[in-house]
Amino acid sequence: MNIQFTLNGKLRTAEVEANTKLADLLRELGCASVKIGCNEGACGSCAVNVDGRLINSCLTYAGQVNGRTVETVEAIGSLDHPHPIQDALVEEGAIQCGYCMPGVILAAKALFDKNPSPTEEELAVALDGQLCRCTGYQKIESALRKLASEARS
Amino acid sequence: MKLTAYHRAKSLADARRLLKELGPTAMPLAGASSHSFVKNDDEKIGVDIADIGFEGVECKNGHFVVGANTRIADLQAFHAPGWVLDRVALRFVSQPLRNMTTIGGNISRVFPWNDFPVALLALNATMTISGEAKTSHLASVFFDGQPSRLFQPGDLLTEISVPEIGEGSGFGYHKESLVNMDFSHLTIAAWIRREGRTIRDARVAVGAGVPLPCRLSALEAELVGKKMRRGGHRRRRGSASGRCFLERGSRIQQ
Ligand SMILES: Cc1cc2nc3c(=O)[nH]c(=O)nc-3n(C[C@H](O)[C@H](O)[C@H](O)COP(=O)(O)OP(=O)(O)OC[C@H]3O[C@@H](n4cnc5c(N)ncnc54)[C@H](O)[C@@H]3O)c2cc1C
Ligand code: FES
Ligand code: FES
Repeated sequence: MNIQFTLNGKLRTAEVEANTKLADLLRELGCASVKIGCNEGACGSCAVNVDGRLINSCLTYAGQVNGRTVETVEAIGSLDHPHPIQDALVEEGAIQCGYCMPGVILAAKALFDKNPSPTEEELAVALDGQLCRCTGYQKIESALRKLASEARS
Repeated sequence: MKLTAYHRAKSLADARRLLKELGPTAMPLAGASSHSFVKNDDEKIGVDIADIGFEGVECKNGHFVVGANTRIADLQAFHAPGWVLDRVALRFVSQPLRNMTTIGGNISRVFPWNDFPVALLALNATMTISGEAKTSHLASVFFDGQPSRLFQPGDLLTEISVPEIGEGSGFGYHKESLVNMDFSHLTIAAWIRREGRTIRDARVAVGAGVPLPCRLSALEAELVGKKMRRGGHRRRRGSASGRCFLERGSRIQQ
């Protein structure tokens, strides 16, 4: 089947099987930030935004995004022009292998876009489902907490 | 599960037509998050119902009417006096899964760990199925087995009506899991109505750790007429949950 959707601001068309998962399609289309970890909805490393909602692309069929808007971390910042969330994570030394980072950054962005100075509880709820195998979360949390408190001051 | 074809329905009538025309391998697809729990060689045709409406929560005459396609994240974000499903939603898996899954998907096919059937049993909710005509089922009937037994080909769950928690009544919900991401080991929901400090009416439901969620009628009967004491629920907690397993165990043996 043929699908058409907006990926990181550009209209894309793709020929997919009904059973093709969005995570596989996005990687084929060059979005290497979309990582497949558990492939069953339990780790968050494949998380992308669809129509502004963070979802697990390993559980989503490509057909489900026909006509919709998909955003991956590639659209958010780059090495030359990092997003403030990416800057904060680097400054805090919150990244080790980096596998979880695209999901963490998108989850944080979804929250900060709505609420630039979230409470600790709001941060915890928004990051619920983004598993990090390396850092023990403390530096990720403190980077995001700093960003939130900067927005408050 | 393997999808062999995918269709997106434009309306309820379109979804019902597609499901009937495509035959027994066709199934409604809401968030599609349950597909990873189904055998890989199980071939299905997906009829996506995301665009047919039935989304959101409305207050009507002492009830909250919830569209079956309402995402769990929208239940979490909705707040009103007498509304408690935001608390249940907050304990649901993860933010991405709350964003993609629907209450209809959570209750139309009940996996043992599913949270909402337990809460809806305690709240005495009513589910509406839209088929040739509309049929309504109280939670105690809807969840007395897999709900699929109540659906004819092409039927869809469209609405859930949840009574408000009124004056003199209260609701408690506990999901025993290490973190939200974990499947629940035991989920308990309780609703009570009191007059003064005396419990006049009680509904207690349990899920996870049992094959299907159910009401604990013996425990409910035991609660009625009891005086409420501050902190009493904490003292009784151990024995109450032990009792749940015994009751359910005896029902399974029948
Ligand atoms: C890793 C993981 C962990 C999870 N842990 C939990 C947990 O702890 N607690 C919990 O409650 N849930 C949990 N879930 C979610 C749950 O098990 C289901 O996957 C989810 O609720 C299904 O919702 P959905 O909208 O994705 O429905 P779908 O997967 O699209 O559909 C589910 C079933 O319902 C049918 N259906 C859907 N909508 C309708 C309708 N309107 N009318 C008739 N039939 C319909 C479908 O045909 C299908 O048979 C977990 C899921 C994952 C992936
Ligand atoms: S790969 Fe999708 S949630 Fe783990
Ligand atoms: S930095 Fe390695 S998984 Fe998070």
